[in-house]
Amino acid sequence: MKRLMTIIISITMFSLIGCGGAAESPGVTENEILIGNVQDLSGPMKELGKILPAGSNLYFDYINDNGGVHGRKIRMLVEDAQYNPQKTVVAVKKLIEKEQVFCLYNVIGTSPVEAVRPLLAESEIPLIAPATQSGTMSDMSRPAAEYIFPTDTGYDIQASILIDYAKEIDENAVIGVIYQDDDYGENVLKGVEESEAEMGITVQKESFQRGATDFAGQVMNMMKGGCTHVIIAGIVKEPIIIMKTAEAMGYAPQFMGISPTMDHRVSLAAGTAGEGFISANFAPLWNSDDNVPKLYRELCEKADVPEAMMGMYHYYGFSTAIVLVEGLRRAGKKPTRKKLIRGMETFNNWDGAGIQPLTYNRNDHGGAEAVTLIQIKDGIQLPITDWIK
Amino acid sequence: MIKGRYDDENLKWIPLLIGLVLLIPFALKGMTFSYKYYIYILNTIGIYIILTVGLDLLSGYAGLISLGHAAFMAIGAYTSAILVDQAGLPFMFSLILSPLIAGCFGFIIGFPALRVSGMYLGLTTMGFGFIIRRLIIALREWTQGSAGLVVSPPNIFGFTIKGDWANYFLVWTLAVLVIIGARRIVKSKIGRAFMAIRDSEQAAEASGINLAKYKMFSFFISGSLAGLSGVLMAHTNHFISTDHFDSMLSIYFIIMVLVGGAGTVYGAVLGTLFIVLLDNLFVPELETLLHTMFSIESGEMESFIFGLVMFLFIIFQPTGLYGMWLKMRIYWKLFPFNPKQRFT
Repeated sequence: MKRLMTIIISITMFSLIGCGGAAESPGVTENEILIGNVQDLSGPMKELGKILPAGSNLYFDYINDNGGVHGRKIRMLVEDAQYNPQKTVVAVKKLIEKEQVFCLYNVIGTSPVEAVRPLLAESEIPLIAPATQSGTMSDMSRPAAEYIFPTDTGYDIQASILIDYAKEIDENAVIGVIYQDDDYGENVLKGVEESEAEMGITVQKESFQRGATDFAGQVMNMMKGGCTHVIIAGIVKEPIIIMKTAEAMGYAPQFMGISPTMDHRVSLAAGTAGEGFISANFAPLWNSDDNVPKLYRELCEKADVPEAMMGMYHYYGFSTAIVLVEGLRRAGKKPTRKKLIRGMETFNNWDGAGIQPLTYNRNDHGGAEAVTLIQIKDGIQLPITDWIK
Repeated sequence: MIKGRYDDENLKWIPLLIGLVLLIPFALKGMTFSYKYYIYILNTIGIYIILTVGLDLLSGYAGLISLGHAAFMAIGAYTSAILVDQAGLPFMFSLILSPLIAGCFGFIIGFPALRVSGMYLGLTTMGFGFIIRRLIIALREWTQGSAGLVVSPPNIFGFTIKGDWANYFLVWTLAVLVIIGARRIVKSKIGRAFMAIRDSEQAAEASGINLAKYKMFSFFISGSLAGLSGVLMAHTNHFISTDHFDSMLSIYFIIMVLVGGAGTVYGAVLGTLFIVLLDNLFVPELETLLHTMFSIESGEMESFIFGLVMFLFIIFQPTGLYGMWLKMRIYWKLFPFNPKQRFT
């Protein structure tokens, strides 16, 4: 009993020693700004989990070598959450409370980001460029929306644009959509349903589970339904397998894809089956002649980035890092989280990030609302439209 | 009368457990700036303990394996979110009703358990997990499908419980109650019936134990406790989606019970503590350490260490952490007269 009392007293003493709150701007020191990133390093999207931060670090290194932001170098911590919302909450909690990061950046996945909204509100910490294109990110009626700055066009908007385009090129188009039955697909369906209501059409819908590798049933149903235009809401492997399955079945509709399918590996792996595939894109092509893609390729060459890594997702990490750096610049010499939010809200049609122009203000964090369409012609991706809203 | 019933059991652990649970957050607050992170981890542990203690009653005591416990958790979470936020019922009411509904699903799963056992029962319960996931997606009107559901914080008699600090006391009050309750169950007639069924169904039946009744009852209790942990998870995290309850989580729960020592309530508690702490505190530290020495991709280490822990426990310590503790206790009790061969 005596020993128990000693333990209790010593623990109580410890608790009394407890002292005040954290520094005024967590994560900011004289010569460094600490950024927190949550990726999937060992789950279903682990390929992206390595590529995205590598792209971001390419730009951060470039900025750091040139003196940093207002004299401070940027350091990014990457946590693994396996694309799981519960693990993302733990990772974000760790970054905010334990690592004391200044802001969050590029957290991957729709439901993971949705799950951390309460933490953003509680800690009043901004999340710049969440690595998801769900339309819910820019919905200002959702909790903690004032702390989130999405850089991409929502999946729902993209789906509507693709349906509009299909109807434009072929008045009698019968449209089908094959979607991943998760948060991503849910947002695509929202756009599809809006278009259905607006245009008075019916879109055939087939779902598949994340990680699926067999799409024969879905393709067969699209064929039975007589779909002439099929929108694929998958990532990289799904459009490849779907188009190859269709080719094997002798079915050749016009395949279209939401922006995650824009990766150049689709054209490489799908071969003849992928010929003519149209995908939505919210940025100029990474191998185009615009200024930022040029700088990107230059830095890739300098840093000896392996060719297999270069591409849309690596470029995504790169360009969103530019957005973050610009926000940090605008937050001033003595940055605080509030100043970063105010700084981000001064973006007005700003087009320096190598993606489409971004606009944020206090009442609208929509960011971007347009896409260009990219088509595979002779195995090469080429833009076929200007920005469409 | 009551004294007579309880004097066979050492009850000193109850105040000790309560005292420890009450002191830990204050100690953490005193020791570290990042106490909120650690309290969050403790809250997760508390929520999981409620479930694993229930799972231990089912798998450890009654010998019925379940690989679908994340689904019961999902039922509790979604039911409570819908009852409180859409039907407008008070949280306290849902705290009782939602676990009961999850328990009823457990009761239904109890039916196949009457006919199948072992691996086949594991597969049946796993299939149940997939069905529940599809059901949640299909009932889009209430659950918003895969997009997930925002859940309000718990409101108890007009007081809103918000933040990790307040959540800690809510979660751990219930966790302690569940631990005490489970201890009472296993010491009672029900617990003895569970163990008899686990050891030999024929012998149990021959002794007059109603197999159907007790098997279904064990699923009901276990499902209810998983539902309760789901309710707490939904209302303390404020957001749930189908991704929160994937089938891997069910397997984690089984690992927790096995590592702690199946068939002991404390084992489930220790196993949960060990696995969650290993996952969140030790593996990341070890990973950083090893990262500097070898070029191992981060993330890969976690699965490797998990596999290794399971492997080592099953081979060298089948009685789990609690078994290890018991052995140590007996060793020191008998010291220095302990017979050597006993501990080799």
